[in-house]
Amino acid sequence: MGRITLDKVTKRFGEVEVIPPLDLTIEDGEFVVFVGPSGCGKSTLLRLIAGLEDVSGGEIRIDGRDATEVPPAKRGLAMVFQSYALYPHMSVRKNIAFPLRMANMDKAEQDRRIESAAKVLNLTDYLERRPGQLSGGQRQRVAIGRAIVREPAAFLFDEPLSNLDAALRVGMRLEISELHERLKTTMIYVTHDQVEAMTMADKIVVLRAGNIEQVGSPLDLYRSPRNLFVAGFIGSPTMNLLEGRAAQAHGAHTIGIRPEHLDLSRESGEWSGVVGVSEHLGSDTFLHVHDTGLADIVTVRASGEVELRHGDRVFLTPQADKLHRFGENGLRLA
Amino acid sequence: MATQHSRAAARVMISPAVILLLGWMLIPLGMTLYFSFLRYNLLMPGTESFTGWDNYYYFLTDPAFSSAIVNTLILVGGVLAITTIGGVLFALLLDQPMFGQGIVRILVISPFFVMPTVSALVWKNMFMNPVSGLLASLWRFFGAQPVDWLSEYPLFSIVVIVAWQWLPFATLILLTAFQSLDQDQLEAAEMDGAGALSRFFHIMLPHLARAITVVVLIQTIFLLSIFAEILVTTNGGPGTASTNLTYLVYAESLLRFDVGTGSAGGIVAVILANIVAIFLMRMIGKNLDA
Amino acid sequence: MARAVSTRRKWITTVVAWALALLIFFPILWIILTSFKTEAEAISTPPSFLFFDWTTENYGTVQERSNYFRHFWNSVVISIGSTVIGLIIAIPAAWAMAFVPGKQTKNVLMWMLSTKMLPPVGVLVPIYLIFRDVGLLDSRLGLIIVLTLINLPIIVWMLYTYFREIPVDILEAARMDGAALRNEILYILTPMAVPGIASTLLLNVILAWNEAFWTLNLTAANSAPLTAFIASYSSPEGLFYAKLSAASTMAIAPILILGWFSQKQLVRGLTFGAVK
Repeated sequence: MGRITLDKVTKRFGEVEVIPPLDLTIEDGEFVVFVGPSGCGKSTLLRLIAGLEDVSGGEIRIDGRDATEVPPAKRGLAMVFQSYALYPHMSVRKNIAFPLRMANMDKAEQDRRIESAAKVLNLTDYLERRPGQLSGGQRQRVAIGRAIVREPAAFLFDEPLSNLDAALRVGMRLEISELHERLKTTMIYVTHDQVEAMTMADKIVVLRAGNIEQVGSPLDLYRSPRNLFVAGFIGSPTMNLLEGRAAQAHGAHTIGIRPEHLDLSRESGEWSGVVGVSEHLGSDTFLHVHDTGLADIVTVRASGEVELRHGDRVFLTPQADKLHRFGENGLRLA
Repeated sequence: MATQHSRAAARVMISPAVILLLGWMLIPLGMTLYFSFLRYNLLMPGTESFTGWDNYYYFLTDPAFSSAIVNTLILVGGVLAITTIGGVLFALLLDQPMFGQGIVRILVISPFFVMPTVSALVWKNMFMNPVSGLLASLWRFFGAQPVDWLSEYPLFSIVVIVAWQWLPFATLILLTAFQSLDQDQLEAAEMDGAGALSRFFHIMLPHLARAITVVVLIQTIFLLSIFAEILVTTNGGPGTASTNLTYLVYAESLLRFDVGTGSAGGIVAVILANIVAIFLMRMIGKNLDA
Repeated sequence: MARAVSTRRKWITTVVAWALALLIFFPILWIILTSFKTEAEAISTPPSFLFFDWTTENYGTVQERSNYFRHFWNSVVISIGSTVIGLIIAIPAAWAMAFVPGKQTKNVLMWMLSTKMLPPVGVLVPIYLIFRDVGLLDSRLGLIIVLTLINLPIIVWMLYTYFREIPVDILEAARMDGAALRNEILYILTPMAVPGIASTLLLNVILAWNEAFWTLNLTAANSAPLTAFIASYSSPEGLFYAKLSAASTMAIAPILILGWFSQKQLVRGLTFGAVK
């Protein structure tokens, strides 16, 4: 079981308040992603849950028990670090066995769990090697193996994929998602990459400067961002945010429209502009449209094989039901 | 990591080292300071009396003091000049591809591991002796009159001995610094049309600047306290021709048993060393933040 | 260097470097050669380099005449003793400063370093008098105490720079894996710190072995280590070149070998981590 509740948790480093009082509930079995730009406090929040940092105020409950003063070793949580933090002087087998040894588990049970974890993670052939002899992806698997063998109440991941190259990252993302499907254990995952957040999470927590900006499912956040920050952060390419005349026409201070929600035409439309750079991705083409009088660049998604050139004039029309309206304070208008 | 509990434990773990060093620094230094204001001779125990600044006056106006200062400066300056310039050139040479690099390296750094008394005695007897020394043989081989190095050029001879001991240190540190130089930088400079000399002066030397500073400062600390080499070769002589500040204080206190004057000299030495130390500490302190 | 260099240039470099290196090393080589000569050959002119009657009698004579091994043993006890005590005091301190850094950590480190800058002659008289009054003059214990204190800053610093390279992540991982502080130190920290501790030990033994201010001033016949023993050859006895050489060879050989092994760590230790 792994239901984690944060009740008015705060963290101060000296005079600086990095986490103002914060409430959050993570349900058992949920895959929760903390996402935000660097310095938003997401890693600090994870370390508070882990017990690696003392909270300055408030309470952390794990399965209803107050864990605020419990040392990390006793919280029953497992963590995968950005640097993997493997023990360099131990073989892969000993690395994975370490938490079991610390729990004084009997040898046979240890071996059984190590073998099964190694099978799941494709590490069986590498059990006797040292971490230094493994590739980045394999190290990552060892770190995950070390976390799963002890069957923790929850897994904590601190930007686990940021040291991998792009191709491996996509593969490991899937593996972690599958692992969650199989284990159904609570996972808390910290990343600055909104793609990881969107693809993996049951629930996304968007953080900025220690504050929770919005909590919700990936689609909630995509469909109805609560404010300009979330609107700009979630979705790729980012939402076009337009102010002035165009926004007033819709009765808002700022309007947001995603590139995929603009209809493109060569003849007519609500706005017009000139094509600049076009990024051909194969399946889609992203056009940078200039001289619309709305913003420097408006990004539009077009079909993959669109035949438009630099300098062509195009017309754009926002899909009315996909238009986001924000007030002067940056909050979403109903 | 930073929890209240671990902080308290940390303080307990640090304190033995701090207390010992604090005692080591404060107690003897306090005593030296105290003695420096006393008339205090070990041969006349029980006659100690307060004399104010007399010991300082006596020590600082003693002609031996001014010559000791000059000798100290020559000793430190001479050794520094030889070791840093020689060290840069040696390091540059050792950084080139060659056969048997490892062995060459070992040969070059070896003198640093020879204890000061051995190197001083061996140089004095087996090399610089005017009759049976190797240098005398060499001089005779070329038909020249052998030189009595330690009597005629005592300070120069000591500079040579000490430089021989410290050249490996400078070489080793500068070589380490050379090896951390990014090869891409050199290749970029080469692409930009820089010749070998301008690569040396514009890329390598600036890269070495920090290591050179460290070499100079650390050697200065040790060279200010050169003692064994003087004791076993010249005993500071002839006269005071090779007496440095450290040796002068030693002579006052433990040869002439004049603790008062010796202590005043010790305090003077501490003040001079501190001036160098301040610069060194700044250098190392900067590195702590990096 | 991954640069292509002509073989000719490499040969020239090799010859020049070997010539200079042998020149630098020559005095040491000469000591070793002379130690195998008879006294007559040792002072013969012109000197003989390799073609002489090799003899090992000097080594025996040095021991017989002056009980060489007693001084050798003094050196061993003093250098290893002071190093081990230094490590015992320094390991907890360096550990705490590396892993629980506080606002004052940097100042404490800098202050420790500053005690190393104190010229020994500034405290010679009081130490001499204190030792005389408590009977520590000419005792191994006295020298161990002094050498521990003068090298403590270097030990703390070296250990600190090594400990700081151990990633905090790994210690935190151990804690997350359920290791209590004792197990964290036993299974994770110690194995990772051993190489650094070993290098520190090695360098410090070298420094203590060769220390020649306090050993000369605080010892006489009884507890004199090799530095002071060799210094006694500055009397007319020093004219026995072959015996001086034999004594010197034995005095420098062990440390020369240790030194060759520790050259990399030497740089870090002697520059307080400023050059690595």
